[in-house]
Amino acid sequence: MRVKKSFHSLTGKLILTIGTLMVVGSLLFWFFLFKHQEKELLASSVKYGYSFVDYIRNSTRYGMLTNQDLLIQQTVEAVGVAEGVQNVQIFNCTGKIAYSSDKKMVGTVIDKNAPVCLKCHDSSGPAKVTPSWKVTKGEHYRVLSIVQPIYNEFSCSTAACHVHPKNKRMLGLVQADLSLELLDKSIMQQGIAITAYVLAFSVVISATLCIILWNLVSTPLTLLSQGMRKVASGDLDHHIEIHRRDEIGELAETFNAMNAELKKAKNELMNWGNKLERKVQEKTDAIHRAQQQLVHSEKLASLGRMAAGVAHEINSPLTGIVTFGHLLLKKFPKGSEEYEDVEVIIDQANRCSNIIKGLLGFARANTAEKSPTNINDVLGSSLNIVRNKADFFNITLVTNFDPSLARIKADAPQLQQVFLNMIVNAADACEGKGTITITTKNVKEHDHDFVEIEFKDTGYGIKDEDLEKIFEPFFTTKPVGKGTGLGLAVTHGIIQEHGGKITINTKVGEGTSFIIRLPALKETS
Amino acid sequence: MSKGKILVIDDEDIVRLSCSRTLVPEGYELKMAKNGPEGLKLLEEESFDLVLTDLKMPNMDGIEVLANIKGKWPATDVVIVTGYQTVETAVKAIKLGAFDYIEKPFTPDTLIATVSNVFKIRNK
Ligand SMILES: Nc1ncnc2c1ncn2[C@@H]1O[C@H](COP(=O)(O)OP(=O)(O)O)[C@@H](O)[C@H]1O
Ligand SMILES: [Mg+2]
Repeated sequence: MRVKKSFHSLTGKLILTIGTLMVVGSLLFWFFLFKHQEKELLASSVKYGYSFVDYIRNSTRYGMLTNQDLLIQQTVEAVGVAEGVQNVQIFNCTGKIAYSSDKKMVGTVIDKNAPVCLKCHDSSGPAKVTPSWKVTKGEHYRVLSIVQPIYNEFSCSTAACHVHPKNKRMLGLVQADLSLELLDKSIMQQGIAITAYVLAFSVVISATLCIILWNLVSTPLTLLSQGMRKVASGDLDHHIEIHRRDEIGELAETFNAMNAELKKAKNELMNWGNKLERKVQEKTDAIHRAQQQLVHSEKLASLGRMAAGVAHEINSPLTGIVTFGHLLLKKFPKGSEEYEDVEVIIDQANRCSNIIKGLLGFARANTAEKSPTNINDVLGSSLNIVRNKADFFNITLVTNFDPSLARIKADAPQLQQVFLNMIVNAADACEGKGTITITTKNVKEHDHDFVEIEFKDTGYGIKDEDLEKIFEPFFTTKPVGKGTGLGLAVTHGIIQEHGGKITINTKVGEGTSFIIRLPALKETS
Repeated sequence: MSKGKILVIDDEDIVRLSCSRTLVPEGYELKMAKNGPEGLKLLEEESFDLVLTDLKMPNMDGIEVLANIKGKWPATDVVIVTGYQTVETAVKAIKLGAFDYIEKPFTPDTLIATVSNVFKIRNK
């Protein structure tokens, strides 16, 4: 499964926001903590500085009281070499460096405007000195400068040297420059450690959040949106596999339920659509069939009416031809040329008569007299008529009659005509040798009962181009005198009149089967 | 002495002629009528053993002729000659008392066979 991983995704946005907040928050927190600590550290350094300066003052006190310059200088120098001490100086009130840890500096007068002096003196007025400290930037590390005044004490003014007059308040200053190297180093190390810690913390928290969000939100949301896309594209079988008790689980469940409903609705709709389509198709087919049937039966009926009239008119002259032919025949010896000629006349007259009989079939198809009929019986008597004909000597007749065959409402003589035509056609197709199988059975179609009669032969079959024409009146492929082309036309008329239909399965060179279906009679037995 | 007296009712000359050329040499005595009324008039005048009548004729059709004959002269047999045979009319004709029916076009042999069949039964 492909889960989106860009910062545009919900997870990306959440992680970005939370990550930023965390980094900023922890940076601020650590910054203030750090500042506070630095202040504390500085304060303790300052405290140490003061006590250090106090210590210098106390160490030099005796020297001062006894006015021993060398002693003071030596003390200052000794203190000045202590670790972390950069410089120790004692100024007198005129700004001259009286003692210094750096011997070279002794005797230097500093400008009254130097920062050290400005501590106590503004440009004019008398000095009002308080202990003070200051942090300046040194060469490598910061430097803490502590300044402490030396006040005129009672013991000073009363000392043996009497250097200082009694009314003088300030005698000088002690200044110590202390390196903050250690402090700065430790602060820097702490800073690095804190930064590293914050970064590591952020990374760990972000990664954890990422994983949690991924599993809790992103993956199920992606599953959901994929599911929706699938459903939108028509796959209503899609089921989202999220089994959880939270809101997302609920969403997935609702989604699946909705999907199932959708599928049900769609199926229903499709069923309706199909049903409708089928109904429309059925009706259209039925209308088509009815229309064709109407045209066909109209055609047959008018042909039948005409045939009936023509038959009557033509049969009388034919009677004359046949009768006088026979009379003439008697006048010639059998085997003579004249005898044979007259025979031709009689044959042709008989052929005309056959055509007329075929035509009359149309007239009859419209005047069917129907009564409950057993098709097996009609087939049996039809077979009896043909069985002894010379054409059938080498043809095997096979019958598979269903003894429980339903009866139908039919005009038996007309059906006999149909069956005879079917059997004769089959025998013609077999050209004297082959098998004709006649099968009857009950069938069901669209909930209606039918009786099916199949005439199957092993004859020459019907060519595709002939198949659509064989029901047309006068269409025949048989030699002149043998076929009239009326058999199937009449058959079609009769079967239609009986509410049945004919289907044909045929293969050239293998055989043909004509299947007739007639509606079964509804009988309450 | 003729084998019997036969009346042929048909509107077609050729049919009447065919009947006479077939039946006269066989020894029957034949009279002709062109239509139903003419035939019935002849029947009023003399008696016949057999009437051969066409089924479809102008004025009066064969069924009507048959009904008339069977009403007035039940002893006379009737054979219907038809060029337009249907089961219906055949059944109707037999019901009304026709002896048989012949389909046009018939051969001399079938006509002779049918007629001689009538007399064979009449003479029993
Ligand atoms: N069983 C069959 N096998 C092959 N061809 C057939 C068969 N039945 C009918 N036909 C074809 O249909 C044509 C029409 O048949 P039909 O209407 O009965 O007229 P006819 O038999 O006088 O030719 C036949 O000439 C033949 O070509
Ligand atoms: Mg045929």
